[in-house]
Amino acid sequence: MSNAYRTKNSTGLINKNKKINFSFNGHTYHGYEGDTLASALISNGIHLIGRSFKYHRPRGFLGVGVEEPNAMVQLHEGNKSEPNIMATEVELVEGLKAKSQNCWPSVQFDIGEVNNLLNRFFPAGFYYKTFMWPKSFWMKIYEPFIRKAAGMGVAPLQPDPDRYEHNYEHCDVLIVGSGPSGLASALAAAKNGARVILAEDKANFGGSLLTDEVTIGNMSGKEWANDTVAQLKSLPNVIMKKRSQVFGYYDHNMTVMIERVSDHQENPSKYTPRQRLHYIRAGEVIVSTGSIERPISFGNNDRPGILLASAAKEYMKVYETLVGKKPIIFTNNDTAYSTALEFLKNDIVPVILDTRNNSNGELVKEVKQKGINIRFNSGIADTKGHLKIKSAVIGELDKDKENFTSLESIDCDCICMSGGWTPTVHLSSQAGNKLKFNEEIDAFVPDKKRQRESAVGAANGSFTLNQSLAEGFQVGFDLSNKFTDNNIETNTPNSKEPKYEKHERLWCMPLPQGKKPKRFIDFQNDVAVSDVELAIREGFRSIEHVKRYTTLGMAGDQGKTSNLNGLQYVSNIEKKIVPEVGHTTFRPPYTPVTIGAIVGREVGNHYLPTRKSPIHNWHEENNAVFVAAGLWQRPRYYPKESENMNDAVNREAANVRKNVGICDVTTLGKIDIKGPDAPEFLNRVYTNAWLKLPVGKARYGVMLREDGMVFDDGTTSRLSENHFHMTTTTAQAANVLSHLEYYLQVVWPELDVNVLSTTEQWSGIAVAGPKSRELLSKLFPNIDLSNEGLPFMGLVDTNIDGIFTRIYRISFSGELAYEVNVESNFGLHMWKKIMDEGKAFNIEPYGTEALSTLRIEMGHVAGAELDGRAVPFDVGLNGMVSKKKDFIGKRSLSKEAFTSEDRQTIVGLVPLDKRTKIPEGSHIVENDKVASPVPKLGHVSSSCWSVEYNNPFSIAIIKDGKNKIGKNLFAVSPLKDISIPVEVVSSHYVDPDGERVRS
Amino acid sequence: MLEIKCPYCGKRSQNEFSYGGDATVKRPTLGEEISTEDWDNFVYFRDNPRGKHTELWHHVSGCRQWFKASRDTATHEIFDTCKMNEAFNE
Amino acid sequence: MQKYSVFSLVKNAFTNHQDWEVAWKDPEPKKEYDVIIIGGGGHGLATAYYLAKEHGITNVAILEKGWIGGGNVGRNTTILRSNYMFDSNAHFYEFGMKLWETLSQELNYNVMYSPRGIINLAHSDAQMNAYARRGNSMRLNGIDAILLGRDEIKQMIPFADFSETCRFPIHGGLMQPRGGTARHDAVAWGYARQADSMGVDIIQNCEVTGFDVNNGKIEGVQTSRGSIKTKKVGLCVAGSTTLLADMLNMRLPIEAHVLQACVSEPVKPLLHQVVTFGAGHFYCSQSDKGEMVMGGDLDGYNSYAQRGNMPMIQHVLTGGLAVFPNFSRLKMLRTWGGIMDMSMDGSPIIDKTHIDGVYLNCGWCYGGFKATPCSGWVFAHTIAQDKVHELNSDFNLERFHTGKIIDEKGVGPKPWIG
Repeated sequence: MSNAYRTKNSTGLINKNKKINFSFNGHTYHGYEGDTLASALISNGIHLIGRSFKYHRPRGFLGVGVEEPNAMVQLHEGNKSEPNIMATEVELVEGLKAKSQNCWPSVQFDIGEVNNLLNRFFPAGFYYKTFMWPKSFWMKIYEPFIRKAAGMGVAPLQPDPDRYEHNYEHCDVLIVGSGPSGLASALAAAKNGARVILAEDKANFGGSLLTDEVTIGNMSGKEWANDTVAQLKSLPNVIMKKRSQVFGYYDHNMTVMIERVSDHQENPSKYTPRQRLHYIRAGEVIVSTGSIERPISFGNNDRPGILLASAAKEYMKVYETLVGKKPIIFTNNDTAYSTALEFLKNDIVPVILDTRNNSNGELVKEVKQKGINIRFNSGIADTKGHLKIKSAVIGELDKDKENFTSLESIDCDCICMSGGWTPTVHLSSQAGNKLKFNEEIDAFVPDKKRQRESAVGAANGSFTLNQSLAEGFQVGFDLSNKFTDNNIETNTPNSKEPKYEKHERLWCMPLPQGKKPKRFIDFQNDVAVSDVELAIREGFRSIEHVKRYTTLGMAGDQGKTSNLNGLQYVSNIEKKIVPEVGHTTFRPPYTPVTIGAIVGREVGNHYLPTRKSPIHNWHEENNAVFVAAGLWQRPRYYPKESENMNDAVNREAANVRKNVGICDVTTLGKIDIKGPDAPEFLNRVYTNAWLKLPVGKARYGVMLREDGMVFDDGTTSRLSENHFHMTTTTAQAANVLSHLEYYLQVVWPELDVNVLSTTEQWSGIAVAGPKSRELLSKLFPNIDLSNEGLPFMGLVDTNIDGIFTRIYRISFSGELAYEVNVESNFGLHMWKKIMDEGKAFNIEPYGTEALSTLRIEMGHVAGAELDGRAVPFDVGLNGMVSKKKDFIGKRSLSKEAFTSEDRQTIVGLVPLDKRTKIPEGSHIVENDKVASPVPKLGHVSSSCWSVEYNNPFSIAIIKDGKNKIGKNLFAVSPLKDISIPVEVVSSHYVDPDGERVRS
Repeated sequence: MLEIKCPYCGKRSQNEFSYGGDATVKRPTLGEEISTEDWDNFVYFRDNPRGKHTELWHHVSGCRQWFKASRDTATHEIFDTCKMNEAFNE
Repeated sequence: MQKYSVFSLVKNAFTNHQDWEVAWKDPEPKKEYDVIIIGGGGHGLATAYYLAKEHGITNVAILEKGWIGGGNVGRNTTILRSNYMFDSNAHFYEFGMKLWETLSQELNYNVMYSPRGIINLAHSDAQMNAYARRGNSMRLNGIDAILLGRDEIKQMIPFADFSETCRFPIHGGLMQPRGGTARHDAVAWGYARQADSMGVDIIQNCEVTGFDVNNGKIEGVQTSRGSIKTKKVGLCVAGSTTLLADMLNMRLPIEAHVLQACVSEPVKPLLHQVVTFGAGHFYCSQSDKGEMVMGGDLDGYNSYAQRGNMPMIQHVLTGGLAVFPNFSRLKMLRTWGGIMDMSMDGSPIIDKTHIDGVYLNCGWCYGGFKATPCSGWVFAHTIAQDKVHELNSDFNLERFHTGKIIDEKGVGPKPWIG
């Protein structure tokens, strides 16, 4: 039965010379180039694709494109596996593998279908009413059961091997959709010289012109489309994008488009992305997205083989595929007659059911002239056929169309239904357009716009070709005139199309007497008419309540075919007109978008940039273990042979205390500050005094936020009268710069000061330890590094190998120490030079862990203490706070809570056994035996192994810390089930008077 | 993504800017006596209108200038932007 | 009121579900109420319920501008937890957790309380230390918390990024096993149904346009459906708090910001915990329907727009793939935004005000949903007794003057990032 369902005539869009093999549920089939997975399956007679979400009902195709709610498949295998793919949106490629979803063991025989037999027990919201007893069962039994049943396809477990890209575009006019109105707009705008982007979701441009029998000028619609596309392609100011869907319309005319770049290619190049996400900032957006046909609700209207009439037509006219050979056409309007005529061209005579009493539309007449019997005033009550439609129970309707007067069963192999058309207003609505209800077409259309967006053609409710073309040419020209002075207007060609009569307001068939088959509205979520009735019966009357209670319109198709029918039904029950019922919000994306495409290239190691110091490679070569410090990679420690981290850290730290160590401090933030008011500015920014800092001296400073909390600290030095060099912590570098700029530009613009980040211009190398002076004196023999020549907090400029070098005598380790700064490019050179010279002094590099040990022992606070919740008082920085001058945040410091005895302040801790290291994050309690809630005195912020005293030492922030010194308390970590008796000591554990740094 | 006109550089996408909040908040003069209530008002309390909002933006990935914008907090329409020492054209 | 159970469901199945009663009535507003709650969201509905149940005050109206449950209770990512460091938050949310545990039974409405565990991933030792500090604090407060190592996390979430190319490798994490999720709409509807059954009037499509205040006392409210007298008014309108406070000449430490969220299409069960990423803005849980429910941080500027914005969604999903690289081939189904009442220290305000009879419940930032039961419970107490309960005594307005702020994040009075 291979390809038994093909039409007689060629459409030119299917290449029968290129056979394509694919598999579905393990069976191999073939289609042709130009087929979608949907058309290829249908041409092989396959309609049973998957199972529905809730009731596991057999489902096939409803549509032919993005509107498809049912025919979802699991595509590919392994790390390329993809769940929930609309078979209608997949172009056939050689070797494609697809399988059914939400069924076990197979789509033909699915155990889950028991849900369908029991569906009377599972009305809308049933889960809110049950599974409550006994209480423990929800988590253990009910929920796992529901969860197992949930979901459609299966997510892959491995990372995605494919690549995705982003692109940023600007244009004057973006046109979304290439049907008649879209092509007309594009042509008019492009010929007038505007920069145009035309986006088409499908693989072929032309939209309805590919399927409608119309004439434009002296060409067929399809010829005119091809001709217009060719013209547009020849223009340099036009970008044409096929397989590209604009799915989101955001603020300030930013739209986002997803382009399927290589999914349809057999062997894409390694560098071709799978999909590309385009951010398009458009001057104007023309929404020419067309319309989607509505289904009709009748008993068991969801069986495989029941689909939209327009879809049936498109399968024939684009994909050369017959959806069946024994069709029923069921309609409330004229357009479905074109599908009937298309069947007739293939010598297939359909049964036609029309809910209306009559119609004299041109297509209806044409069908009548062919001698086909049309059953007016008729409808479908129910259908039969388990895995595929076999027959329909049809009948005549009574006067009010609320009951059937007679019923009969007729055989069929497909039902093509049409409930009229719904304009695709998603993008307009996303753009902020307040929609209005158009009673002529019984649908919402765009109204008052908020952004620069214009709907044309069917998306605007203009359902005739004449109107569509006229609107397209006019709007395209008008909008392009905003961007060019050419004033070239393109004339609207004449067009000929069949005249249609009006549809009937009837989307739901009465039930057959005595029976209650499900009449579905939302196919994917299994929402039936009875569910909407139940919701309203229970008081869920707002349309948002109906949606949430029944889940109508909340499936992957986002209600493209169900929302309006749902609304019509609510308005019928509530005896309100549709605009009073309102509509739910249209939210992006228009169709589900691959997450990988949204993310683009920022995956894996490229999630965020990695910053490396110029000395990084040396660290790597010397066995450094790195640690992330924000975006930076810093050496954490340099293990030797079999050393573990503790051994290495203790060795490195001890060597600093004993000999000399070298540490890469390039990551510290650096800011150059210049201007006559620079001293005054620093005096306002820092808590301590800055006006009298001599040239050639550095000073430690603390800055606060206005709420009084410590914001950052660092040393700043005065290079000349009006020139300062500020250093910040690595973490806050960017924030401090913005902070300074804010005060200079917004608060105190009268200050004549400029600031500039120089973080990346300088490489900083700390040389610390008692032998550091001796070492540097050898390296820089012509400068005086004696305590008099370069005292603590002094700085000196010098030169080595022609490299400008600035040496600060500052210390974070508490030892005699220097920081050598050179231009970044020479950082590695200087580092190596110091290492070479230092060998004689037993120099060793030390990483961030040893750095921490050294500063913790000294009681220097860092990020763990300055956590954004500490005022200077809390962390022993009282002495840094000037009483005389005002500065940022000072006024907050007088708050009662910030000075109360309750305040937690900094102390040191030593375990009584002098052995047990206290884990960071432990809390301090007076009594470790009381029941919860245990009163907490504070917490341990930093811990180290003191290399000075060879026992553990920690910094803690505890209630009334000062008065606790000398007391014995407990450091507890219930997470690790430990309690450590500790003695509270001063946080300045080593060299409390700071003699070493001044030595 | 908003499109913001930096008064120094012209129109740029929002990802070049960082937000600075209510621009009508005036920092109390340095060194001046101020009541706790007035101070706390400055630190913690804000106008929070639905509609026109005068706010600060920082062209942080551009010219690094702070400037003012008048923007609707419901529609996000930006009526005008200006330098700190200028007034909106309204 | 009809009792919901498996028996009533079966019974009704045989009458084609024709006999279900309305879940709540649709009354006309009366001339006067003892208490008026403004805002028919989760907190307002819960407050009304506890006023009736715990304090016997049933002459209560809930005034809702739109339809109940249409604000943040219907727009959040449904996470429940009490994994807070500071005592004021910890005790409050832990009391809430206890209410959650029995809420389905109490309301006779299945809110699908699912204590599946919440894991905060850590990506550095410093972060592990910060989590240890929080976890230890939780444990000392009697709240469940466990510290997980990298291998334990790998067992629970094997598809997370444990590869060589991971930019911020997972070091471990802090888990609250009792944390989890609940079905957000059900919470609003469950409270509404019970409150209604006890006599509370739920009045939808009724917008408050003004207040009648005389001599520092509230006397009534003006609404789009006429004026209504009352002696007590509770504001439960997070997202719009300052718009109403403006009518009362109250300036608050609150800004409105948009928080976005998105869901993937439904897939078969995969992720069995709530997971937060520690090196970016991303958190995720898988709903009972199979969707990955994902969120991140604020859009970054004052906003009252309940809509999505692509750059922030991209930012969130980029964080998402940094943790779960296999989510790349899933598709994003829907995005939406909710308006957050961002307070200046990140903690809520539940307090009396300078106007007699006006009570404030606001400033929920990102955390309002999980607070629904305990917020309603303490707010009902505050309104009924005209004094704050011990559990909300720290959530006062005065803290912005005294300095007793409760800043879990340590970022200061600035709600946005960057």
